[in-house]
Amino acid sequence: MTATPSIAREGRGGFGALLDRFPFLPAIVILIVLLVLNGLFEPNSLSFRSLTGLVRTYMALMLLAVAQTYVVYAADIDLSVGAIASLVNVTIIVLMQHLGGGGLSVVAALGVGVLVGLACGLVNGFVVAALRLQAIVATFATSIFFTGLALTILPVAGMPAPTAFWRTYGGSFFGIPFVFYCVAVLAVLLYLLARSRLATQLLAVGDGQQAAFQSGLPVTAIRIGGYALCGVFAALAAFCITGDTASGDPLVGAKMTLFSVAAVVLGGSALSGGFGTVVGSVIAALIIGLINALVFFAGTPSHWQNFVQGLAILAALMVGILVSRRGRA
Amino acid sequence: MTKLKLSGVSKAYGATMALRHGDLEIEAGEVHVLIGANGSGKSTLCKIVAGSVRPDRGTVLIDDRPVTVSGPRAAKALGIGIFYQELSLAEHRSVAENILMPDLPRKGRLFVNREALAETAGRYIALFAQVAGEDLTADTPVGRLRADQRQLVEIMKALASKAPVLIFDEPTSALDRAQVDRFFEILRGLRNEGRSIVFISHRMDEIFAIGDRVTVIRDGETIGTTTIADTSPAAVIRMMVGEQEGLAVPQDAPPASATGGGTALSVAHLSGQGFSDVSFTVARGEILGLGGLHGQGQSALLRALFGAPPAHSGAVTLAGAALRTENPRSAITSGLAYVSGDRGRDGVITGRPILENVTPVHALRNRLMLASPGRLAAGALPALKALNTKFAGLSHPISSLSGGNQQKIVIARWLIDRPDVLLLDDPTKGIDLSAKADLFALIRKLAEDGLAIILYSSEDAELLNNADRILVFNGGSVRRELAGAERTRYNLYHAAYEAA
Repeated sequence: MTATPSIAREGRGGFGALLDRFPFLPAIVILIVLLVLNGLFEPNSLSFRSLTGLVRTYMALMLLAVAQTYVVYAADIDLSVGAIASLVNVTIIVLMQHLGGGGLSVVAALGVGVLVGLACGLVNGFVVAALRLQAIVATFATSIFFTGLALTILPVAGMPAPTAFWRTYGGSFFGIPFVFYCVAVLAVLLYLLARSRLATQLLAVGDGQQAAFQSGLPVTAIRIGGYALCGVFAALAAFCITGDTASGDPLVGAKMTLFSVAAVVLGGSALSGGFGTVVGSVIAALIIGLINALVFFAGTPSHWQNFVQGLAILAALMVGILVSRRGRA
Repeated sequence: MTKLKLSGVSKAYGATMALRHGDLEIEAGEVHVLIGANGSGKSTLCKIVAGSVRPDRGTVLIDDRPVTVSGPRAAKALGIGIFYQELSLAEHRSVAENILMPDLPRKGRLFVNREALAETAGRYIALFAQVAGEDLTADTPVGRLRADQRQLVEIMKALASKAPVLIFDEPTSALDRAQVDRFFEILRGLRNEGRSIVFISHRMDEIFAIGDRVTVIRDGETIGTTTIADTSPAAVIRMMVGEQEGLAVPQDAPPASATGGGTALSVAHLSGQGFSDVSFTVARGEILGLGGLHGQGQSALLRALFGAPPAHSGAVTLAGAALRTENPRSAITSGLAYVSGDRGRDGVITGRPILENVTPVHALRNRLMLASPGRLAAGALPALKALNTKFAGLSHPISSLSGGNQQKIVIARWLIDRPDVLLLDDPTKGIDLSAKADLFALIRKLAEDGLAIILYSSEDAELLNNADRILVFNGGSVRRELAGAERTRYNLYHAAYEAA
């Protein structure tokens, strides 16, 4: 009667246990290696100024990766994060322009921007979780829709952001660059969200929707919550894009969508849901930034840059997967 | 006082009636046992109470008030907690999170109260501390636990619901004796608190150890309820068998070939995942039945013989020569055939034409590199004809056929080149009656032609009507062999339920 099929999962090494707790360890290793490589090719790239620039440029991708992670927690995906970021970008640019570009107008525009992101997230959540359309296709469709809206609001790229806005984003306070305050706020936000009921419930839904439903979880509401969170973080990413580029562009986010998915995977989260960390996604976004910097510093001819960049991301993914597999085997 | 009352509840999935007419009355402060054979509707009845299945008809009363259990959340609000047979755990979440997942303790509106989580979950873990094993701690991800530990976590999760009505659908199938004893102690405590407990188990000794009353379900209908003290295991089995004894006698005596064909396959002390130390022989021309409750090792054994995955130890001899199957490919080339009831997963090549679905085994066995549709069709047609398969043309996609005809195509695959041994793993699952009759007529004919056939069926009537001998499985090993006149429903249930 003890026909218990004992699962050969016991006796795993300390490294395996460590990986279970911190699935982003391989990402950290890759990050350090890339930093060293960057330093070798261009010692200047490790200076405080260069690193500040790196964070300033890739803050948007970090936030998009975080946005994507919450959706992936629940085994969903959002291919519209980039389009949401574009839409928010042009919305706040046009609003700030209309309201005169003063401090108050910036705050008002940012408030509206967050609401726009939230609304987009709710739309995604509604079509995917309530209407039960396939997430990958449904959010691809909404991405086209959001891009269309962005093009209506600002048909051509180029309307400038108010000086106050990008000066703040690029500036320093008490000797510390503004982006590092952003990083600190993000850290606090992520810490709080990791302790939220929603995060745990999203992971439970991603682990097994049927089991979560049978446990009495409001599965549809939870998935919509994940998309809403994703929309808000995409809006925050749009603020960083706006600060970095100092202008409006209705297509600025499109190319970042799949980078955000890549960052989620690189950061150790499972695309099949139920397992992952936002910290990993943030680190992975930096890895992608460092790869781009490295390609540049290594003096790759411009027509080879995409080729090398793609190979480097593939290599990083492989290293990450191999390390995790070794640890889990 | 009646706590929970179901009357005239029914549920159909498409054409199959999972539950015809379910009645159940549970008092406050009792352990009420539900018992019935495979597919009799016990789990469906429980899921209706738990809200994860909506009934087509019938009423549910709690405290004499009619209620609609619209979903698991509604059930929770009505004070119903359930242990799911297939478990409802999130593998990557910790034990503590899983135990309290239905109602995570909160801090403010948005946050999880980690301290309360650890403390409350700790109380439930402590209940089983002596028997659960040291590695079951609040922080362990459930994915790292053994099967018995997961079952304990699901039990804790049900207990943590603190519901007045608790349903346990086969909660003890992976537990060892000490764990079951501890669980029963806790159940008795809950009963004495006045809670109502519904308990499903296939172990007669457990039922008589913990139950106050027992309700028997047969073929989706409630047969009756009696007090445990007034009944006996044999009487309960008789209620489960009912008046169907007549069905059990085969239409005709087993053909002579069943005995005189010589040994085709012999298995000695075979062990693998899900079964252990199984020995038997099958003769040419014989249909050997594997019986017993679901998941007692029958399917696992058949899959192991076919190399998916291979057995861990033991010896298999095919026609006098030792057989070593590494994978299905080697099993096929040495003359084994396997048909699964799970057509979608193991049989049908979805979206491809009928011809391509009939010929892959032929192609493998003859190492065909180039295929000529005309020659393949010439081989495929007689096999399809032998099975009475209805189809419009060989080039039509297999999905255009009914379930029964799809299964015939899958079987025809093995008939172009005759195998020596045919392994049938619950082959008639979800197939209509006339297709079933066709299938069994063919299986008997194949046996008469000299094939050795091993048949596992979850429908007892199919086994009793078609198998020449039946091996009754329980807990991964053979408990009894029924041959000749012994092949009765009563004997089958007796061996399947009491052996534990």
